[in-house]
Amino acid sequence: MQKFFSNRKLVIVIIVLIISVGLMSVSVAIRDKKSTPPLIQQFGNDVAGAVDRVIALPVNGLQSATNSVSDLLNTYQENQKLKKQVDQLAQAKVTAQTTSAENKQLRKQLKLNESLSDYTAVTANVLTRTPSSWMNQLVISKGATAGVKKNAPVMSQSGLIGRVVEVNQTNSKVELISNTSSTSDKFAIQITNSAGKTVNGIVSGYDKSSNLLTMGSVTSNVKIKKGDKVVTSGLGGNTPKGLYVGTVATVKQDDYGLASEVEITPAADLSDLTVVTVAEQ
Amino acid sequence: MRYSRLKILFPIGLFVALFLDGALSNVFAGKLFSYPYSSVLHLVLMWIIFAVFLDDRDDLSIGMWSFFVGLVFDWYYTGIFGVYMIGLPLIVYICRQIKPWLDQNFLTLLMVYIINLTILETFTFIWYSMSHVASSTVADFTVYTLGPTIATNLAIFVILYYPMRRLYLSVN
Repeated sequence: MQKFFSNRKLVIVIIVLIISVGLMSVSVAIRDKKSTPPLIQQFGNDVAGAVDRVIALPVNGLQSATNSVSDLLNTYQENQKLKKQVDQLAQAKVTAQTTSAENKQLRKQLKLNESLSDYTAVTANVLTRTPSSWMNQLVISKGATAGVKKNAPVMSQSGLIGRVVEVNQTNSKVELISNTSSTSDKFAIQITNSAGKTVNGIVSGYDKSSNLLTMGSVTSNVKIKKGDKVVTSGLGGNTPKGLYVGTVATVKQDDYGLASEVEITPAADLSDLTVVTVAEQ
Repeated sequence: MRYSRLKILFPIGLFVALFLDGALSNVFAGKLFSYPYSSVLHLVLMWIIFAVFLDDRDDLSIGMWSFFVGLVFDWYYTGIFGVYMIGLPLIVYICRQIKPWLDQNFLTLLMVYIINLTILETFTFIWYSMSHVASSTVADFTVYTLGPTIATNLAIFVILYYPMRRLYLSVN
């Protein structure tokens, strides 16, 4: 064991650790900049992504096979439930069509060409998930060539799941909303209650144990009830308005009793993601 | 199988393990990351430890390959360099140091694997905490991450031990 702590080896170990900490600090410091990742890093990611596609393909195939079997088992109950919904949907669709046509006309009269709620959708496959408990990240199969931009919000079929943090040419990284680290960006959201009044705020955290998002420091007097819809507010400029986030679970006083804290049930299931949509403004 | 074949198979298997880690994490995300517990797959670490301990000739340049695979891990999965890139060669170094003292059988290898899982997970936890990527207390880390991680990976280890030993026995 004397050999293990010989002078020369100790110096080497310390130098290696210092290099490691240095590299890590630099990459954390520059990763939020608009220009990152640099070209060489993008190239490496594209190569790794190409190899990953070959390995992820059979694994994902296996997953979709098991999914279709379980879908088949639930078909009857699902069909009955969906039939009821379809009748209501036809009505809602017609209303939505008329409203959106009217909206377009009114906007033309006001000479308001771009609104906060406009976006184009880019659909991508999920290639892989970072095998780490500290970074809830996905790698998706579309990149800059498909029009994905940094900081764009990402949705699954049912609701918001996160935002793009790194864009390469053919793939990009998505940070999930369940990331609680202090470096992750927060979404601007609003809650509309049954009377039509809105409350603005930001997603301030994620409660792992109960799988709920929290919106802290709410000082508004507007009454919010359980089940009220939560959507993105479009404030801040990165996110289009009106992306569905979830529903209100509970409203309670914060630790100091001055402001209230709203807990939100996310609409999307963050643990079952195969296809996602990137919303570009 | 000839030893020269193993020299090609080892790095290929290492990178397959790397990408399988990510792909399986996504497919089984509901089971592996069911809150508050999160178990991290470590197929790469397992492949490296099998190579260090089961290969009698010590001629696979495992240190260099583990550096490369760690670099790709940081590059592709996290975007934060210098964590797995240093952590995996560190594990190889530790394993090489303790190998001469160990009588090799299933149980000792199992213990070595538990220790190395703990070292690697703790190493990444400390490093990510320093850069504010991870925000968790030590108690939460041990209960919610380290425990489930060791449990999951031990199960995989037990399944893969005999096939892997067969592979290396046929070479030596």
